[in-house]
Amino acid sequence: MIEVSGLTKSYGSHLAINDLNFTINKGEVVGFLGPNGAGKSTTMKILTGFMAATHGTAKVCGYDVFESPIEVKKRIGYLPETPPVYLDMLVFDYLEYVAQLKGVEKSKIKSSVNRAIEQTHLGSVQKRMIQNLSKGFKQRVGIAQALVSDPEVLILDEPTVGLDPKQVAEIRDLIKELKGKHTIILSTHILPEVQSTCERIIIINKGQIVAQDTLLNLSKIKSGSRKVKLKVRNSNANISATLKGIAGVLSVEKQNGGVEWTIDTEDNDEVIEQIAMQVIQSKWGLSEITSAKADLEDIFIKLTYGQAEV
Amino acid sequence: MDKIFAIYKKEVKGFFFSPTFYVVAFFCSAVMSWLYPIQLSDFLSNLKNQMFQQGMPPQALNAHYALFIRHLVNCNLLLIFIVPALTMKLFAEERKLRTFDLLLTSPITSVQIVVGKYLSVLTAIFAIMLIALSYPAMTAFFAKIEWVPLMIAALGIFLVGAVYAAMNLFCSALTESAVIAYVMAVILNVSVWFVGAGLEVVDSPWGRQIFEHISLNSHLVGMVEGTIRTSGLIFFLSVVFLFCFLCERVVESLRWR
Repeated sequence: MIEVSGLTKSYGSHLAINDLNFTINKGEVVGFLGPNGAGKSTTMKILTGFMAATHGTAKVCGYDVFESPIEVKKRIGYLPETPPVYLDMLVFDYLEYVAQLKGVEKSKIKSSVNRAIEQTHLGSVQKRMIQNLSKGFKQRVGIAQALVSDPEVLILDEPTVGLDPKQVAEIRDLIKELKGKHTIILSTHILPEVQSTCERIIIINKGQIVAQDTLLNLSKIKSGSRKVKLKVRNSNANISATLKGIAGVLSVEKQNGGVEWTIDTEDNDEVIEQIAMQVIQSKWGLSEITSAKADLEDIFIKLTYGQAEV
Repeated sequence: MDKIFAIYKKEVKGFFFSPTFYVVAFFCSAVMSWLYPIQLSDFLSNLKNQMFQQGMPPQALNAHYALFIRHLVNCNLLLIFIVPALTMKLFAEERKLRTFDLLLTSPITSVQIVVGKYLSVLTAIFAIMLIALSYPAMTAFFAKIEWVPLMIAALGIFLVGAVYAAMNLFCSALTESAVIAYVMAVILNVSVWFVGAGLEVVDSPWGRQIFEHISLNSHLVGMVEGTIRTSGLIFFLSVVFLFCFLCERVVESLRWR
């Protein structure tokens, strides 16, 4: 569906992205992850034919982005960082205009606009001026704009930036709904967003891909270690020492005055069992025990910010 | 073609559903309503006094020369400042508000963008011309007027407006600031009237011919007097084409810069 090879873009002497290679298959939801200024937006702009690369090629649906940009643009819905909405237009008129620009057949324009409005739950504001809408609604109009031509590929550049938590959740749900119907590339620097919506992740830092894999495989990068959170009712001075005595426990950290504990263990289910048993036998009053896999955040920080230190 | 029309329709709506156009049209008609009656009464008093003033040039007694051309010249003067106001936001604002991203990532060519926008400006200028022509039309209620030369003269002014539109659209594409676009456009509009002044400083006949040909004025004079010359038409259309082409290049270059 999308093939990128050797993609490089330089602004003067500054290399925004350097030799990117990746492929995205049909129907995949891929998260494009990286700190600010990593080159996420640049890559997306090149894929949409918005700007040209310095070197390298990018193909979308078999068409080269540089040689047949019109064919590529027909198949892409793009939401830039700032939603490209005309403030002085009505929501419905705006979407109709976008549908015309994207070359939707005349007879289908009305139905496509209505479908996009329905998908993004904009029905209540469709007759309102865009400048009077809240930021969340503007963002949704932006997404509706990308969806209106029912494109094969959806490219969303930081779709939830600047929204309140409820709106963020709504947009994430929307993206989940779109899964399977479109190939989606989602750029973000917000990790839970990727965790909740994407199947595969490409982590990019300083213009280079530092990791690309499925969420599951990426979690294994930091394998061999697992965090266990323990909460007890009766704080006890012996807890630390006793827990450290269990085979497989790597370190124990006291939190919240000895009521809560964070335990680093080997990635092994038996260890948790052992800990639980120990707590109960010692009558510390077990109130909570949870096991957390090394989360994406750790991996992300290790791969991006960690790089600078190495 | 559909896409050109979509852009055209959107921009025309933008003109006629926004206050800017009506403010501009109001000031136009205010200026014309002030000047036209003065010129009309001037002309009428000349007619009355013609027996007493032997040396009066015959043109002063002709409504086309003494009244309508003066009116259209005022109209041209207004267009120099109005057209930039109409065009300034067409590209500059789109670039500033990032709505241009939408156009650049849609399956349309730069030519379609420029042509759609250019045609919408022409429509707005046409509307202004209709306002200007309503004054001679009112005169027709109590006097018999020659419509054909008047229409040709109006066409001449409209073509000059079309040249402004092309130049000013180009200015708008150059910058993200509507104010800079406006100032550049006005300077360009005013300066095309001074190109002809080169005629007086150049000695070689060859150079004189060039200046005579590129002067907007020399081509307009013929039309204003009621004659259509193909050389004039070709000149106006080629200037329009040149600036639309330059504008298209600027838009296209935004993709790879």
